Amino acid sequence: MVREKTNAMATTRAQSFKRMNDSHFHSISKRINLYGLMGILMLLLVWELSARWIWQDIQVLPSPIQCMDMAWQVLTAQELLMHIATSLSRILIGFTFAAVIGVGLGIAVGWYQYLGLAFKPILELLRPIPPLAWIPMAIVWFGLGEPSKWFVIFLGSFFPIFTNAWRGMVGIPPVILRAAQTMDVKGIELLLKVAIPAALPDIATGLRVAFGLAFGILVAAELIASDSGLGYLIMQSRETSRLGVAIFGILLIGFLSMLADDILARLLKKFVGRGRY
Amino acid sequence: MNNKIKSWLIPFIVLTVFLLSWELASFLGFLRPTRFPAPSKLWMSFLDLTFSGYPADVTIDQHLLKTIERIIIGFLLSVSLSVPLGLLIGGFHVLDRLTSTIIAFCRSIATLSLLPLAIVWFGTGEQAKIFLIAYGCFWVMLSNVIEAVKQVDPVMMKAAKTMDTDGLELFLKVVLPSASPRIFAGMRISLGVGFMVIVGAEMIGTVIGLGSLIMEARTFYRTDITMVGMLILGMMGFLLTTGLAWLERKLMPWQQQEHNRSSV
Amino acid sequence: MKSTTNKINLNNVCKKFISDPENMHPVLGDVSLQIEENEFVVLLGRSGCGKTTLLNIVAGLEIATSGKVQVDGIDVTGPGRGKGMVFQQGALFPWLNAEQNIQFAARKQGLNAEQSKELSQKLLLLVGLAGAEKKYPFELSGGMQQRVAIARALALDPQILLMDEPFGALDELTRIEMQNELLRVWSLKQKTVVFVTHSIWEGLMLADRIIVLAPRPGRIVLEKKIDRQRPRKRSDPMLIELYEEIWTSLQ
Repeated sequence: MVREKTNAMATTRAQSFKRMNDSHFHSISKRINLYGLMGILMLLLVWELSARWIWQDIQVLPSPIQCMDMAWQVLTAQELLMHIATSLSRILIGFTFAAVIGVGLGIAVGWYQYLGLAFKPILELLRPIPPLAWIPMAIVWFGLGEPSKWFVIFLGSFFPIFTNAWRGMVGIPPVILRAAQTMDVKGIELLLKVAIPAALPDIATGLRVAFGLAFGILVAAELIASDSGLGYLIMQSRETSRLGVAIFGILLIGFLSMLADDILARLLKKFVGRGRY
Repeated sequence: MNNKIKSWLIPFIVLTVFLLSWELASFLGFLRPTRFPAPSKLWMSFLDLTFSGYPADVTIDQHLLKTIERIIIGFLLSVSLSVPLGLLIGGFHVLDRLTSTIIAFCRSIATLSLLPLAIVWFGTGEQAKIFLIAYGCFWVMLSNVIEAVKQVDPVMMKAAKTMDTDGLELFLKVVLPSASPRIFAGMRISLGVGFMVIVGAEMIGTVIGLGSLIMEARTFYRTDITMVGMLILGMMGFLLTTGLAWLERKLMPWQQQEHNRSSV
Repeated sequence: MKSTTNKINLNNVCKKFISDPENMHPVLGDVSLQIEENEFVVLLGRSGCGKTTLLNIVAGLEIATSGKVQVDGIDVTGPGRGKGMVFQQGALFPWLNAEQNIQFAARKQGLNAEQSKELSQKLLLLVGLAGAEKKYPFELSGGMQQRVAIARALALDPQILLMDEPFGALDELTRIEMQNELLRVWSLKQKTVVFVTHSIWEGLMLADRIIVLAPRPGRIVLEKKIDRQRPRKRSDPMLIELYEEIWTSLQ
């Protein structure tokens, strides 16, 4: 009991550390408060004023208003929506593949130790390779079209999902499994009805982390090797008269990823959050 | 004894089997050399890269060092800004509330999306890359430093105050040391982020650096070089995480840190 | 109402560690014990004396290296099958609320949804938690969690109830309260109980029979029947005498 109390501090600290760095953002709704909004408005003001009075060079740093203006003039709503749709579809497809395979494999490897022995070495070999480093390989194998983007996003999302699912399975408190066994639960039933629910919080964490990463990977991949999508749009707009569009695009991506993460967090909370374990 | 050997032997066997079957498949013609170069070819290319270099006489160690150089400079830049700022924000509640939304938003801006902007501002040289790395590292470090300060045990602070420690002394002797482990952990993660960013940043507008190497090689169908580059990046990433975790354990043995293997 | 056949039968039970091939320190060395139906037996001893191992062997969660282990005359080969167990802590399913935890056990007994719900309500009432059905474990205090754990074990309608230091993680006052609660529930739901603890007083308050174990090798060093009506008083001279006796045997 004493051990519990002294560990409580360490545990909450470790938990907050994990929570912050595992999900790159807290849900947007938690972060918006009056002070925060004031902060953003102040920042926008500073930006606007310094752009107009200090730099005064629309080619280097357009003010927020100038950005919007440029974007308005150059982009049609249709074009913008198409780019957004392309980017989002790439993320969704790559991520979904990663989620299904990552969770499935993670659970399997975590439950059946022998599978782990066979799979882990190869996965550990591939894991430290940064996702973006796969871009050239993706192009070699899949060409310059959509599949190469799906592949890169898949790879980037897969590892956090897999690792967290595996960790979740391995980290199930043994007492829970033993308690279930005393209730005549065994085999597949034990896996499906007890083990997986117990591991769900970790699985959910993995999904959130991976989703956040996916955005970053997608944008980079589109910058480097694509002719559509938001990343491409930004890259293309760096010509001086269109810089505002690029800035607009950058902020749009940031906003979209926060929004998407919030939606995912809510969805996950519906399925996992009830017990808050 | 038995278990220790097993944990080392089985991965070894699995990898060997994997490599051999790969080599065999390549040899028998099942795998196209441009898509799936054989392990033997990879080894040859590695030697080639070490001694002759690609492209244009840039050897692999030069690529590697350049990449590392960029990461370190960007990282140090971000640390020098984020640590003081983070300590300040973490220490004053008002500042924290004012900035938390901004920080959260800026963290969610994909670092590499700023690449075109960086190129406009800094050209295609080193500064653009270093700026990107610094940007990526900065926000991660900042969030962690702020949390580190906020998480200092209030009971400990109270105890210190009863011992007549206050103000600057309190800060230097109590807050800073107890926030250090968390700050170091933030450094570890932010280096990881920098590592991710540089790979992408190097794929545009440069010919030195591992990122540029693997991209260039692909353009000329030297898939073997691409793979070697990827493996070296992987090894680098691995050494980075394990090395830093080891360092953390050595420097701060009193803290039981959650090794953040789960995210980046 | 005692029956003549033993409920639980342990004969020459031994348990060795795998890493201890020469059997220098068997966890359990030749333990024999017979427990009758509806008897409340307490296994008492220091940490490491093998009491938890013995309990796990009866539960079927661990296998004895040698010896016979039987419940109701049938050899024990695995967990479940009428051997309900309450652990010290953390065994409630955190993703289910109180009544769902109990319903889980009820469903395993073959009850349908409606029957399970009814049973869970009855049991929650029995353990004094009516109104807490929808609460999740993290919302419940330690004492309340253990009540749910007991209710859940009872939902299995078990042959025997095994309890591994169930109140060990609770503070002193809650602990005493839970001991009384357990006795109350037990009087209403007659079951054979094997209760492990390292608290002598807890044993004296609860047991029909106290079995004291000592380590290295794990073995029974004292066995005492307590022929006192419950609830018992700490001031009872017979209990105090027993306390001294047990204390001495533990040195």
